[in-house]
Amino acid sequence: MNNITFLILRRMRAPLIAVIASFGITVAGLTFMPGIEIDGKTTYLSLFESFYIISYTATTIGFGEVPHPFSTSQRLWMTLSIYMTVIPWFYAIGKIISLFQDSGLRQAFTTSRFAREVQNLHEPFYIICGYGETASLLVSALDRKQIRTVVIENQQDRVNELELEDYQFDIPVLCADAHMPDVLIKAGVRHPMCAGVAALTDHDHVNLAVAIGVKLMNPDLMVLARADNNETAANMASFGTDHIINPYTLFGDHLAMEVHALGTYLLHEWLTGVPGNSLPSPACPPIGRWIVCGYGRFGKSVVENLQREQITTTIVEADPELTGCENCIIGSGAEARTLEEAGVRDAVGIVAGTDNDINNLSIVMTAREMNPELFVVIRKNRRYNEPLFEHFNADIRMQPSDIIAHECLAHMISPLLAQFLSMVRNQTNAWANQLISQLVGVVGENVPETWAITIDQYHAPAVYNFLSWGKSITLDTLMRDPSDRDRKLDLVPLLLLRDNRHILQPETDMPLLPGDQILLCGQPGAKDALPLTLSKYKALNYILDGTEIPDGFIWRWASGRMKARKGRKEIK
Amino acid sequence: MNLEKVIFGFFIVLALTLNFGYFIGDIDNPAHHHVYELYAAIIVNLIATVLKFGDRTQIGAVHLATSLVADLQLITAAVLFAAVSGTPSEATIINHVVSLSGGALLANVISVILLMAETITLRR
Repeated sequence: MNNITFLILRRMRAPLIAVIASFGITVAGLTFMPGIEIDGKTTYLSLFESFYIISYTATTIGFGEVPHPFSTSQRLWMTLSIYMTVIPWFYAIGKIISLFQDSGLRQAFTTSRFAREVQNLHEPFYIICGYGETASLLVSALDRKQIRTVVIENQQDRVNELELEDYQFDIPVLCADAHMPDVLIKAGVRHPMCAGVAALTDHDHVNLAVAIGVKLMNPDLMVLARADNNETAANMASFGTDHIINPYTLFGDHLAMEVHALGTYLLHEWLTGVPGNSLPSPACPPIGRWIVCGYGRFGKSVVENLQREQITTTIVEADPELTGCENCIIGSGAEARTLEEAGVRDAVGIVAGTDNDINNLSIVMTAREMNPELFVVIRKNRRYNEPLFEHFNADIRMQPSDIIAHECLAHMISPLLAQFLSMVRNQTNAWANQLISQLVGVVGENVPETWAITIDQYHAPAVYNFLSWGKSITLDTLMRDPSDRDRKLDLVPLLLLRDNRHILQPETDMPLLPGDQILLCGQPGAKDALPLTLSKYKALNYILDGTEIPDGFIWRWASGRMKARKGRKEIK
Repeated sequence: MNLEKVIFGFFIVLALTLNFGYFIGDIDNPAHHHVYELYAAIIVNLIATVLKFGDRTQIGAVHLATSLVADLQLITAAVLFAAVSGTPSEATIINHVVSLSGGALLANVISVILLMAETITLRR
């Protein structure tokens, strides 16, 4: 901001000097001009009167000739003054207006406003680099989850798009290149409340630059980076990027999970979804022979993961040499002949995984015609083709942006959630199904809120104090409604972290210890009610023994007296 | 030699000399203090102020501050003078006008000292 003031002052130097000089000359000159004669004495205008007259003349207000009608010489001087003052005056005003329209200055203004907005953030926030399809999903999900974000995007039209979105928080956004270190600093990489950075631009090299920059400037910060190429991913891993997200590998992974353990997959989708959305209906991929069309990065990952699940695959690829595919059927897959050759009639599933939406749709439509029982997995590349995909009823739709957003959410909501999800993968499908049925019973069919709490002095002062007095509090206490202790809050504890030990689905009668971290999942109402129990001594006491602590000193004293008297009566 | 430096120095020194010229003389004698000198001092001071705009150094900031102080005092003096000139109280109020310009003079002296300090520390 300081720089801008100096810039304006500097540019205003010439017009201001012109105004001062023209005023100086004309005001002084006017006082020397002999006025009309009154009582035989020639009158002169004083400096003040003259300044007054020139002021209203220069600003084109023009009150007329005061205090007396002018003499000819005064009028002559005024004629000169008009041209001498009005022109510099307009020059100065024009300069100010053009200054404010200057794109460089406007950029300086928006940048400094952005930096100030970021400086004024007093709660944890994430920096999102690149506001594409993925980031818009992620930002809206985080916004719903009440997590603040800061966005850097280098295309003005996308910035405009963000500004038009209806978010509950004001999201600071800067139109700049994220790989410039000073942009990252302005976005708050060194801000004490910054919780992490997500590099989600379409360009691997920008994501790489962001990841390196953040790791150098603030090594403790969590960095999530998207990497489409394996080389970039390896490069990112080499300097300790916390989470590298490759959408293709991830989808292959998810598909395998869907084939292998549907319950686990659902749990994953559910906990990382946007709260309030309805649950995706489960689709169970059949086991048998699959056809994979397109053997690019996506196709490779799918084939690899399907083969791990003991599913045989037939690959259809238009350019086998480019993709390094041996043993495949040549063709795009959009023609019936190629699909026939691949044996579509006795296959159980087809994956349309080329990078062209129209081709993918064409493949699956042809295939469905030939074999209506086919299980269809389709890759969706562009969000604007969404309506087309809605009309075609595919069993699984894969969109890179959704997958990346879900993965980012898993890490951003709480580190505990990511740990929980990785533990879930090692559990059996039956375990996951049992947990899902428990969750459905508590939170219904919509995507629940997932959040983590920490039992310490700052986040749960009431509970912490009770524990430090040696009293015992169980997990069940936290699960009760602070306004009615007989009612349970709609939440399910998922994971408890104690001394680096993870306890999956902790028992409700488990006593809490200071320092425990608990991952919870439940209704938004429960999320809102829980802080009351955690931080209000009164609410906690009510839940524990059902008595209300009287408010205020007098009532406490009175109730103490009453108790004492009651006690005496009983003794008698 | 740099023309910009010449102009800069010229206006700062002229601001001081004009101010001094107005201030000198018996403080309560209006005949010793010509109003045109005050007027010229104000104009030159304003120009000096504008010339100091946009320098981001520490010394530049102090330069600008001294000029702003001088402007403030001189303009106050001028307003006071405009209000009382031609009235019977002129003879008493002239004290205040001149003492205000004396304050401005001090600010202008500091400004010139800064200018000199800047010049002396400049090594080629």
